Amino acid sequence: MLLVPLMFAITLFAFFLLKALPGDPVLGLVGERADPETMESMRRELGTDKGFVGQYAGYLKLLLKGDLGRSYYTNRDVLADISRKFPNTMLLAFAAMLVTVPLGTGLGFLSAVSAGGRSRFLERLIDTLSISGLSIPVFWSAIIIMMLFSLKLKLLPPSGTGGIRFLVLPAAVLAIPAAATLARVTKTTVLEILRMPYVTTARSKGLSALRVQLVHVLRNAVIPIVTIIGLDFGSYLNGAVVTETIFGWDGIGKFTMEGIIKRDYPVIMGCIITGTLVFVVVNLITDVIYHYLDPRIRLNVKKG
Amino acid sequence: MSFDPAKTIGGILLVLALVVQPLSCTSSNRLEGYVYYRLNASPSTLDPALIADVSSAAIAAKLYNGLVRLDDGLGIAPDIARKWSISEDGLRYTFLLRRGVRFTNGREVKASDFKYSFERVLDPSTRSPNTWVFDKVEGAEEFLKGRAGEVRGFKAKGDYVFEITLKRPFSPFLSMLTMPPAYVVPREEVEKLGADFSSRPSGTGPFTLKEWLPDRELLLARRHDYFGGRSRVKGIAYRIIAEDLTAVTEFMLGNLDVIALPATAYARFKNDEKWSRYILSREGLNTYYLGMNSSRPPFDDPELRRAVSYAIDREKILNTFYEGRGRLAEGPVPHLLRRWKTGRPIEYDPERARRMIRKKGLEDLEVDMYVSADREVVDLAEIIQAYLARVGINVNIRQLEWSAYKDAVNKGEPDMFWLSWWADYPDPENFLFPLFHSRNLGPGGNRVRYVNREVDSLIEKGQYAVDEEERDYFYQKAEEIIIEDSPWVFFWHKTDYVITQPWIKGCRVYPVYSMDKGTDIMIDSSAVRR
Repeated sequence: MLLVPLMFAITLFAFFLLKALPGDPVLGLVGERADPETMESMRRELGTDKGFVGQYAGYLKLLLKGDLGRSYYTNRDVLADISRKFPNTMLLAFAAMLVTVPLGTGLGFLSAVSAGGRSRFLERLIDTLSISGLSIPVFWSAIIIMMLFSLKLKLLPPSGTGGIRFLVLPAAVLAIPAAATLARVTKTTVLEILRMPYVTTARSKGLSALRVQLVHVLRNAVIPIVTIIGLDFGSYLNGAVVTETIFGWDGIGKFTMEGIIKRDYPVIMGCIITGTLVFVVVNLITDVIYHYLDPRIRLNVKKG
Repeated sequence: MSFDPAKTIGGILLVLALVVQPLSCTSSNRLEGYVYYRLNASPSTLDPALIADVSSAAIAAKLYNGLVRLDDGLGIAPDIARKWSISEDGLRYTFLLRRGVRFTNGREVKASDFKYSFERVLDPSTRSPNTWVFDKVEGAEEFLKGRAGEVRGFKAKGDYVFEITLKRPFSPFLSMLTMPPAYVVPREEVEKLGADFSSRPSGTGPFTLKEWLPDRELLLARRHDYFGGRSRVKGIAYRIIAEDLTAVTEFMLGNLDVIALPATAYARFKNDEKWSRYILSREGLNTYYLGMNSSRPPFDDPELRRAVSYAIDREKILNTFYEGRGRLAEGPVPHLLRRWKTGRPIEYDPERARRMIRKKGLEDLEVDMYVSADREVVDLAEIIQAYLARVGINVNIRQLEWSAYKDAVNKGEPDMFWLSWWADYPDPENFLFPLFHSRNLGPGGNRVRYVNREVDSLIEKGQYAVDEEERDYFYQKAEEIIIEDSPWVFFWHKTDYVITQPWIKGCRVYPVYSMDKGTDIMIDSSAVRR
């Protein structure tokens, strides 16, 4: 398996970067009033006084036991915290994708198809929408959406983690830029395919426009679309810091960010490892999907 | 195919509205009888020995008790100790404990519990950041260094008498005993739970921890067998909301009962007739300052530091940029704690500053000012930069992420930096010793690295003085020299603002986070539905 050396390299690299960062985890622990002796003894207790090799070896030993350690600040088990927060992140990512995929591909497809038509109004409208969706920063759209749907219309709660009521707004905020990107990619791909000789052939065979578009065009456009979806999904599974913070969604993104701010090494490392695993798994799934979509793409599985 | 975009979009919105409507939340899922607060960060620990942040301390105050606590006038009031006496030489403190004070597990608190709890703070394996609270106690140093099995200065005399002996008289000691590290904890629970005691606390306070969903919500339930006045609410709920704007939205929807008013929302509520009468405020026990590294050029020169103080119109900044949300500082000690008058506060006088700098031939001086990457602070830094440019000091602002900023400031890297100091206990000593004594350079609190032997000795004399008037005399002298030497530009003492819902009664703003036991606030049910 390639996964083991990959994980090793990632943890080593991440550990190295963490140590290269300025800042000291003990500073956050001791508060505003600490004498050097207390800080020294705390470093000894945490093991951050040892050199890089010593600390990394200690961490690997812990990791091999399947333990991610305890947070310096909260004394809570990092693995337990991650396993509590990860499902929330996953839920949010799925919800966002549920909106993104139909909206993005649908709009992109519509825009491409209407590009050749007489009225280019629809194309222009969709293009404008997708450019806006891409350019609006998430912190702004999040606030506007919250003001509108929570404060003015009182439809949905502004913050919290839980069922679908809490999920709608953050998922919508995440879906805006993702759907916009997807629409643009879909449009370009479809336009390209529409110029392909086999589409002309299909048309000249007398197939209905709908059939041409669904069977011949959309099917061939699907590979780049899946790639984009895979990338977005992978990154959402690693948490969406701004959205999670604004909507008080208890996910991995905010957890990682707070760990970084406080230099809570066990938390940061735990999140990086989880993130790596997530990306590997999502890429694997994407590859498998490629294979089913286009049998020419082979999965390189060794036998025996 | 005819296509009407307006109709289509309208249709989509209609469908969305229909989908969303049934999910609507007019009645929120609040626990009845609970008062809802907001915290901007999840408390890191509820183990009083380990607490170093305000969120945690505010909650711990409701779960635990110490020997003494602060009363509303910032004086010392009985808590678990019903009476105490201090020997004439100021060394021995004898506390008589109440009977019948019980931990949540039902066991009665004995004097030996205080001995255990206090020694635990000093024990290196506890990793407590608060060892300084007890380091004046007889035998504490030996115990800290592992040379003694116990602290001689903590003595349980029978079940209800606890005695503390100090190495030297130390006047702020009683005040320090009101802090979370001096709360009593049950040994059996601590030993049973180990590191998990942080998240499964048990104490003697008016509330017990009912549920804690880290980073989301924390629920405290009222205890019926509390020895003090029982709480008037069934419980307290804290919702963890990082973003100010989100908290304000939740408040306006009535999902939160009390919030600290964020600076960004201050003007809006203040100018709104409906809300302005529900804003509570209190002068804070804090001091905001611009620190100047006094250990190396150019700011090792007190005259230049004074020139910087003359160059900045702090009053104007306070009243415009800061919307008057504070009181101008005359020195490091907040007015609430100062029982004396400052001789000569530094006034805005740019002409004088310019002259002083020109006389030294320091025009076009370049200095580095470090600030944390907080928007309000960065804006303020630019204002200060503009004032200093007018007198010939060029300030390079360097913006650092919080952890890196703290590290740099503790190591003395910047020439200038922006910081504040908040009281742990209400004593002028808290604003003098950690901040200006040469023993606390760097992370100990004296981040400007100010060294003045005379100030050192005055502060120490104040600490040892048994008599209050004598103590104030030394503190006043020390403060006068510090103002004259100006290692800080003393900006302001920030006022704390809180806004409550109309149905909340008995809410107050407390200048020290540990003062609010949560027993005064109540919900006026007749006002809930207006």
